Amino acid sequence: MRGTIGASLPRPDAFGKVTGETRYPADLVRPGMLHLKVVFAGRPHARILGIDTAAALRQPGVVAVLTAADVPYNAHGLIEDDQPVLCAVGEKVRFAGDKVALVAAESREAAAAGASLVVVTYEDLPAATDPRAALAADAPLVHDRHGSNQLLHLPIRKGTIERGFAEADIVLDGTFSTSWQEHAFLQPEAGIAEVDEQGRLVVETAGQWLHEDRRQIAKILGLPEERVIVRYAAIGGAFGGREDLSIQHLLALAAWTLRRPVALIWSREESIVAHHKRHPMEIRCRWGATYDGRITAVEAEVIADGGAYASTSAEVVKVATLFASGCYEVPHIAADGYAVYTNNVPSGAFRGFGAPQAQFAAEVMVTRLAHTIGMDPVELRRRNIYREGSLEPTQQPLPPGVSALPVLERCVEEAQVHLGYGLAPQSLPATTSLVAESVEADQTATGSLTPRSARGAGNGRHSPSHLRRGVGIACGIKNVGYSFGYPEQSTATVELHGGGDIERAVVRVGAADVGQGSHLALRQIAAETLGVAPGTVEMVCDDSAEAPDAGSASASRMTLMGGRAVRDAAIEALAKWRDTDDLHVEATVQYRPPATTPLAAGTGASQPNYCYGYAAQAVEVEVSLLTGQVQVLRIISVHDVGRAINHQQVEGQIEGCLAQALGYALLEHFQVRDGRVLTPYLSTYLLPTALDMPTEIVPVILELSDPNGPYGARGVAEMPLVPLTPAIAAAIHDATGVWLTQQPMTPERILTALNVGTALEKGSSNEITTTIDTKSTVTAHASK
Amino acid sequence: MFPSQFDYYRPSSLQEAIGLLGANPDAKVLAGGHSLLPAMKLRLTMPGALVDLSHIPELRGINVNGGVTIGAMTTYDEIEVSAELQQRVPMLAEAAAVVGDPHVRARGTIGGSLAHSDPAADLTAVFLALGGEVTAVGSNGERIIGADDLFVDLLTTSLQPDEVITQIKIPLTGRTAMAYEKQEHPASGYAIVGVAAVLTLRDGDHCESARLAVTGCTSKATRLTAAEDALSGQSLNEETITRAAQAASEGLEVNGDLYASEEYRRHLVTVITGRTLRRATGAITR
Ligand SMILES: Cc1cc2nc3c(=O)[nH]c(=O)nc-3n(C[C@H](O)[C@H](O)[C@H](O)COP(=O)(O)OP(=O)(O)OC[C@H]3O[C@@H](n4cnc5c(N)ncnc54)[C@H](O)[C@@H]3O)c2cc1C
Repeated sequence: MRGTIGASLPRPDAFGKVTGETRYPADLVRPGMLHLKVVFAGRPHARILGIDTAAALRQPGVVAVLTAADVPYNAHGLIEDDQPVLCAVGEKVRFAGDKVALVAAESREAAAAGASLVVVTYEDLPAATDPRAALAADAPLVHDRHGSNQLLHLPIRKGTIERGFAEADIVLDGTFSTSWQEHAFLQPEAGIAEVDEQGRLVVETAGQWLHEDRRQIAKILGLPEERVIVRYAAIGGAFGGREDLSIQHLLALAAWTLRRPVALIWSREESIVAHHKRHPMEIRCRWGATYDGRITAVEAEVIADGGAYASTSAEVVKVATLFASGCYEVPHIAADGYAVYTNNVPSGAFRGFGAPQAQFAAEVMVTRLAHTIGMDPVELRRRNIYREGSLEPTQQPLPPGVSALPVLERCVEEAQVHLGYGLAPQSLPATTSLVAESVEADQTATGSLTPRSARGAGNGRHSPSHLRRGVGIACGIKNVGYSFGYPEQSTATVELHGGGDIERAVVRVGAADVGQGSHLALRQIAAETLGVAPGTVEMVCDDSAEAPDAGSASASRMTLMGGRAVRDAAIEALAKWRDTDDLHVEATVQYRPPATTPLAAGTGASQPNYCYGYAAQAVEVEVSLLTGQVQVLRIISVHDVGRAINHQQVEGQIEGCLAQALGYALLEHFQVRDGRVLTPYLSTYLLPTALDMPTEIVPVILELSDPNGPYGARGVAEMPLVPLTPAIAAAIHDATGVWLTQQPMTPERILTALNVGTALEKGSSNEITTTIDTKSTVTAHASK
Repeated sequence: MFPSQFDYYRPSSLQEAIGLLGANPDAKVLAGGHSLLPAMKLRLTMPGALVDLSHIPELRGINVNGGVTIGAMTTYDEIEVSAELQQRVPMLAEAAAVVGDPHVRARGTIGGSLAHSDPAADLTAVFLALGGEVTAVGSNGERIIGADDLFVDLLTTSLQPDEVITQIKIPLTGRTAMAYEKQEHPASGYAIVGVAAVLTLRDGDHCESARLAVTGCTSKATRLTAAEDALSGQSLNEETITRAAQAASEGLEVNGDLYASEEYRRHLVTVITGRTLRRATGAITR
């Protein structure tokens, strides 16, 4: 039906979700099923000397204790099969969340009791828990066979870095560090599995990619893929956290081995300890620019803690290294990315996939460069930002449809309207004495308004209050879809039924709706293409045997890739329909986007991606100089989505992602000591709530067509996470004069930075021009 | 997680409760359950029996009459909305209003809070600053425990295992100014640092004596004696307040945790003490 594209149709799944009718995986558990409980290693690095299951088997209700000996092919992974399903005697456990045994029992209580009776004897081994130290020649090896802990070293070279710095008038160094981030989806891992009447293994759970789960399960059990069916119940969020196998293969193993229906539900603690996280990264970089605002050189070293298993670390680090220079065309680049094995929790996919870490560094550096040369940070961005035809660090022109500049310009316009950005003369940010309690006496109330005209100009100096406001702007880029030569594809089948008119259309596309609303978006695309009402279109998406492979619901790709496959299949089905009198036609189309290429050894030269999403954000914050607490007051988030298939859903993605981004920037402090997770509860790992979010969020949707996307659509799901941390860092700097270089920017870290800043200010007669971070140094020098 | 097995008793009189506690040496008193039940689920404590006080009417209620008497089973909610408390001991009503979240305030009790001696509880510091006392009844009869003698250490009080707090008494002295301020933990609402202050006034803004107590950063609610000394006998102004705030953490044993280090908390003691004193004195009409 015409006009379906863009319409904010209500979500068909919304009613069930708010009334509680919707069945999530944990709701599928039926009486009579066996309950599973995992015996975790609980230690970061050790050799298993023995596993004694006798006592557990004597526990009433316990039916079986599965160990590595029960696993036909005991290795899996999205890229590399380096993770055991269950760790074997004589082999090692490599992180605290490694799995050693699987207890099956008639009740949850019996399974838990049985698990506590499994006796595993270990020989503890020295652990590698710091990625930089893990690269040393004498570091303990996480994977003995690998020979070193370096999982990947990726050099990207463009131009001649020495020339780039020689051309620069000023050069700045920076060091940035980020921590893990937990996906914290609402619904921890859960599922059921059984063998059906036809002897097929059926696993019902939540994931992001039916056919990849199926591939890995079949491989582990030595079964043909058709013998395995993966179905997804309602998925309670994913964010990349359901890309790696967590429990899917355990359910499959138990159901197949024991020939009984089985269920497994993880607690929040099990979920946090056992599934992969966002990569912590340390980024050291050096940027050079001329006084007239040309960024001439970027040198960067990115070290990522990959944890115990490969997961998608190599790809994440490639993305981070590619974005070490942000969304700016820089002629001379030398970036080196390292993915490192450690005995920490494995790192893998998480919304943004390496882009947020890299661009925290890049965006802060660009703003610092601007301050140093005395140029408006927006103007410096304008002069260097990607344009149509710009060469990437990989030396190829960007894929067509580059909208970084219009996105930035729109953000600036909105920031002028909503934040008064740039309306007051830029003055230098002020730092104040910290324990200036007297200023608090004058404080009227939190949220006291500073005159609009003064906002965004380091206005704190004129305020008697200990609360300082500031505004920050940052840009972001993130690839849509799989990169670096991956055989990217998405397949869909469209069936049309009816006499003269299409009475019923069935769209088969194995696309996970992780909560983002992909099923409705794909339905709208089908309805528009077929010229039918959305209600006429039936979606079959959640069964690997009933729907073809649409690829992963990740990398912001499903609307573009799955949507394009649906659209192309619909066009083909429609053509057949017009050519025939049959009451049923069917068309299956595999869509393959323009090819990408692998990164060349030594230089990284390649066509890394076929599409990018561009974002820009402006934020206003209020910082307490006394406690270091930050309140984000306003966020403007501008995105080119190519075409909004469902406007409301796009806004939902932006707003939801901003909550996750704000948590990342300010709150979510995942702490690990000696390989042990110290924050396995939501009482210690802080998530943002409605009260942490600003009252004013302005999502701005631009629709500058992508040449390949269905109706011009490109992805949006990850992009809001990319610029927010550096935008908030810039706003904090605007308010207080100090730069934060560690994520998350907790009150304590802010206060520490303020203290250092105050000390520096007192000790120097010069005005502080750029930076006062603890870790980075300013080396402003005139070249030649 | 599930607690270990336990027996459950719901006596309808204090005498019966004391009897049950005497007969079950591994029993614990259950009040609002908002500290006890989480600890049981984590198996940090595994009492063999719970003696639920919720059906003993004499343990509930607020009585303002010369002094203030509050039944141990009175909830935060009831304290928060009590017009008499709002007027006579405003700090207590204000502090009850910032405990945790609405669920916690609907169930949690003042007696439970004091008996638990959580290092980050709010009412412990408030009670200490107010110089209150509790009535404890056990198999050996009744005794009065003063605020300075109740809190012994982390989660430890001077109550005997078979003793029940029945009521809390707050003295009402002449002219006072009081306030409670905290910086709260973002997830739980517990105090990172909370400071309660009661200033006894004479002749306008002259501070005759001061009682200040801190919570959230020490193993138990603790008097801020250095700050008290800095204020006693002084007239209250920006200078004396700043001096008291700066002195506040002197000699204090401050603990850090995953959320906030010792150093940060120590700094907050100064900030929050200043904030508390400014709000307390801001209300003084001169
Ligand atoms: C999510 C959450 C957030 C919270 N946030 C805060 C906060 O911000 N500030 C705060 O102060 N507290 C907070 N609490 C704790 C809450 O206030 C508790 O209710 C309180 O600490 C204990 O009171 P209770 O009535 O629930 O006691 P219970 O949990 O029932 O008992 C606690 C202990 O005291 C003993 N006990 C109880 N009553 C008596 C009595 N009359 N005589 C002798 N012994 C007794 C019990 O045996 C037990 O050992 C929070 C709790 C939760 C779950």
